[in-house]
Amino acid sequence: MFYRVARLIPALAGVFMVMGSATAADAGDVATGKLVYERYCMSCHGEEGNGQGEAAEYMSIKPRDYRQGTYKWRSTPSGSLPLDSDLEHTLLNGLYATYMPTWKVLDDRSRRDVLAYIKTFSSRFATEKPQDAIVIPPDPGYSDASVKRGGAVYQKYNCSQCHGAGGQGDGPSAHELKDDWGNALVPYDLTKGHVKCGDKSTDIYRVFMAGLSGTPMPTFADSLSPADAWDLVHFIQSLSPGYAKNFAGSVASAAGEHQ
Amino acid sequence: MARKGSLQVILQLAVFALVMFVFVSPASAIPAFARKYSLRCTACHEAWPVLNDFGRSFRDNGYQLRLGRDDTVTADPGYWPVAVHIVPTYLYTKVTNQSTDQGVKDIGSGGVADAGMDLLMAGVLTKNISFLVVPTGFASDGNVHLESYWAYFSRVIKNSDWLNIRIGQHEVDLPASGHRPLSLTDSYLLYSYHPGVPDGENLSAYDMGENQKGLEFMGHDAKDLTRYSVSVFSAQDSLGSRNALSSPSFYGHFQKYFRFNDGPISEAEVGIWGAQANYPTEFLTSDGAPIPGSGSHLQASTRYGVEANIWIGPTVAPLHLDLVYGHGSDKKSLLLTDDGVTTADRDGTWNGGFLEAIWVPPTDLLHWSIFGRYDLIRNQKQPLIAAPSNYNDQDQWTLGVIYTLAYSIRDEVAFHAEISSNKIKGIGEGGLDQRTDSIMLGVDFAY
Repeated sequence: MFYRVARLIPALAGVFMVMGSATAADAGDVATGKLVYERYCMSCHGEEGNGQGEAAEYMSIKPRDYRQGTYKWRSTPSGSLPLDSDLEHTLLNGLYATYMPTWKVLDDRSRRDVLAYIKTFSSRFATEKPQDAIVIPPDPGYSDASVKRGGAVYQKYNCSQCHGAGGQGDGPSAHELKDDWGNALVPYDLTKGHVKCGDKSTDIYRVFMAGLSGTPMPTFADSLSPADAWDLVHFIQSLSPGYAKNFAGSVASAAGEHQ
Repeated sequence: MARKGSLQVILQLAVFALVMFVFVSPASAIPAFARKYSLRCTACHEAWPVLNDFGRSFRDNGYQLRLGRDDTVTADPGYWPVAVHIVPTYLYTKVTNQSTDQGVKDIGSGGVADAGMDLLMAGVLTKNISFLVVPTGFASDGNVHLESYWAYFSRVIKNSDWLNIRIGQHEVDLPASGHRPLSLTDSYLLYSYHPGVPDGENLSAYDMGENQKGLEFMGHDAKDLTRYSVSVFSAQDSLGSRNALSSPSFYGHFQKYFRFNDGPISEAEVGIWGAQANYPTEFLTSDGAPIPGSGSHLQASTRYGVEANIWIGPTVAPLHLDLVYGHGSDKKSLLLTDDGVTTADRDGTWNGGFLEAIWVPPTDLLHWSIFGRYDLIRNQKQPLIAAPSNYNDQDQWTLGVIYTLAYSIRDEVAFHAEISSNKIKGIGEGGLDQRTDSIMLGVDFAY
């Protein structure tokens, strides 16, 4: 009897492997996404998607209010809706040093479903289309010279006003900042060796060009040249050994995503 | 000495059902983590306390989310890694064919069970070093014991998830956790079953579902879809041998999960598992009593088997079917006849398993969980040749429903109703079958 049952297992494994490889992605299902949201997201982001879940009151960094369609972490220009891939990036990687964990262990279907549901909180997703992603030129490579130039860019654009001279988030304006919802904000401590939205050099570059919508962090897309932006990336990476540097000058840095 | 007189123990099933509540702490949801990470219990539990994919990954990663808020310094100052879990219940149990001075009787008894309590203390000491300590008991008998205590070292080699080490008393990585069952009246027969010798005893007390003292080596891929676990332990309730590792025993488990992007099945899993628990059968004695640590002639209780799980419908509100099947063998030297000295005629072998179904209806806020389980044991070779071939065969079923009255980032409270029945061949008075039926109503809460 035991061996009859045991023989089913390799057969099942084979069937499962075939099923797994043969299936195709479908669009997210809003009704199921609501259940996913209730299971995993609602305690922070609230039943209405207003960022006022039961946990929000006790959080120093407030959860996103989805109703405006305003997202900090995007690959699209300032003011644009995010791409689905941007939202999925946040789900997969979480936001370092916040309460937003990585949901990479969820199945793809659940992630698609919950994204479909989250987008229902803002009517913008029904009436607007996100702009194309910002084009990020190849990383010219980390070097002492680039870091030095980046330090000058840091001064020129007055980054120290918020982030402090040493990048520790303790600039003169640090205690005056608020987001669009009136929540107090603390400028990010760049010496932590991690950036909330991901540790790749392209993640840091993207913040300069896209800005962080809903916060005082503006876009510098109109004023910052790509070369200056890369120098600034390298300057920030010099503030902590925690950042993986792209000494080779390849397109993607060696930094891994958060686990 | 924890020798298990199999028949005597089995005849006390009514007491056993009550003892379940006092000494076997069944559920191990840990609300301290909900408080720490501002996540509801539903984030980690498919149906409280059964873990879902996220909860399994969180546990395998050493209770870390790995986003800079895990350890005692970066966690919120208000966080304290302690939770309380208790299940006040009303339990009615009826056992058939019991021997009394007035003849063979069916005896039913009911009342509010003498609930025990778990203190669940768990957290992260520093990056990639976590811990769990669970004192349990606190019931009216005043007994408290440490059910679990371990330290867990994650990512022992660089940043690889493929080697993590747990040291201490821990639950081995079972196909379905014996400490996180939905059923509160019946344990998994497959884990605890031993072949029976009428009026005899079994020197092996091995119970796969019980926590073991030792080391666990476990690893998994980034998404926790391929995982292994190997435990090396001193089998519970063993007097110990003269080996350097007292009564060394082993357990191993391998699982592979599959996910599907369309179709009715959203996820599936297959796995294999096996264990060999060794118990000494000969001892030096003092005044006739065995001297602990002096045992020799180790003999094995062996278990191995297969498992398969499928999740039908969305993983967030699935119909989850879990099939586990195994083969067991206890060496004849472990099985003593009614004189307490003579061993059985041969090794006792058996097959057994269970099919469990958990359904989380796709209702708003996922308040409901409905579950059922069927366990069976079929003896293959009776240790005594003269014993009936079906002696000690068992059939058990359980049906239950849980309604979560409230869950939050602080606590969870649920109503729990359950009925179950267990039938054992030939162990009643005069060789009759014995059946135990139970009805339970309870409030399961943790804070």
